[in-house]
Amino acid sequence: MYGSKASQLVKEFASGEKGQLTTYNNDLIREVVAECTQHHLDFQSLIRKMQEEGLDIQTAKNADHYGALIHHLAVVRNKRCLMAYMYNRAEIIRNLLWKIGHMLPQEIKVKLCSTEEEHFKNHSKALKNYMLKVEVDLTVVTSPSSSPISFPSPSPASTHAPDMVPPKDPYIKVRVIDDIGEGILLSDDKSANFALHSMHLLKRTDAEQFIAQGKMEELKG
Amino acid sequence: MASSSAAEGVSMDDDYETLIATTDVELLKRAWRNEKAAPEILRYESKLVSRVNKVIQLMEEIVEEKSSGGTDPLSVSLYQMDLDRTLFLLRSYLRIRIQKIEKYVFHIQKTEELRNRLSKYEKDFAKMCENDLEQHLDESVLSKLPKDYKSVLRQSSMSEEDDMVPEPQLDAFVLCRSKEYLTGIQLEDGPVDDRSKLFEMEPGVLHFICYKSIKALVESGKIDLL
Repeated sequence: MYGSKASQLVKEFASGEKGQLTTYNNDLIREVVAECTQHHLDFQSLIRKMQEEGLDIQTAKNADHYGALIHHLAVVRNKRCLMAYMYNRAEIIRNLLWKIGHMLPQEIKVKLCSTEEEHFKNHSKALKNYMLKVEVDLTVVTSPSSSPISFPSPSPASTHAPDMVPPKDPYIKVRVIDDIGEGILLSDDKSANFALHSMHLLKRTDAEQFIAQGKMEELKG
Repeated sequence: MASSSAAEGVSMDDDYETLIATTDVELLKRAWRNEKAAPEILRYESKLVSRVNKVIQLMEEIVEEKSSGGTDPLSVSLYQMDLDRTLFLLRSYLRIRIQKIEKYVFHIQKTEELRNRLSKYEKDFAKMCENDLEQHLDESVLSKLPKDYKSVLRQSSMSEEDDMVPEPQLDAFVLCRSKEYLTGIQLEDGPVDDRSKLFEMEPGVLHFICYKSIKALVESGKIDLL
């Protein structure tokens, strides 16, 4: 049946968890593209047939005309499905930049096709470029106490996640959930003993970097 | 603790109060809320943003001065909190805009009116974004399709207009509040008979309304979105 492969592709995307990627279905895409090519060939041969019979393609409403129309519509439909698949995936991929930063973890990388990976890299470049430029304007953003955009930042720490929610209190309660090491100086020149599982009341700005690294968790409520 | 620093703190605090009360931060908060709630991208508040940047700089200097001066840590932390909030607003404002550009890049790039709403750097970003996405879609799928179906904007060369560009939903519903008495608002949704009726808005009353109907009023700043 025409278009069933393409709809399978869309269904596959839609049934995935929201914001999560499934593995790029290269085979199915190739099949849908091949189907498009075949439709186009059929379309052209029908048009040729009409021309050979000396009919005006625009006005002659015979069986071949509608046959050609069906082939055309099938390609359009397939294209829409392909685009929906690619476009929505691209959106998720770009959102990864905001969620996990500019480095793609291996387990996500394997789900992408090569141009998707390229797209992620290019988009990361565009975003960094913008932030660098704005930074020239907003020099304040780079103050050590609150650096949302620190360049270069190869660390997995997301540069954005920490301030996705408006700050309510300058101090937050945290628990240490990973080995941090000793001798860490806080911004008020005091150091603390961040033993594993110990709880602290820290300046939000001090704690954010550790939370981003997954070494502390915020205690709420 | 407070009394000891009160005497020398007075003039300082006054300066600070006037600084904060210049409402640029409040204005930014409004712009941020509007941007957050509006389905489409709004005009970039370039003057406001540059003023806010100056405010932020001043606030940072004050915090710096206070914390190195050894005044009581409580007041420093209050200033710091204020600064953090302002920085948050600014970053969030810019971020929401960038995310809207990402989402509707083709639509924005081909619509002159929308493109003019962007800041200079946002325009650069949009351009790069458009190229990247186009390249990606082209290399992965479009270039492999039959020749009349390769366009990224149109379904096929037989379409008379760009019919494959995702656009923001302007008929989405938004919460809004007017600052003044407004009348003659044309509702753009609902049953056809009702549309000819003009709608009024009292100041300060919350309305849940189709964005399209109040689009112009949001743009002119008469209505705030929430």
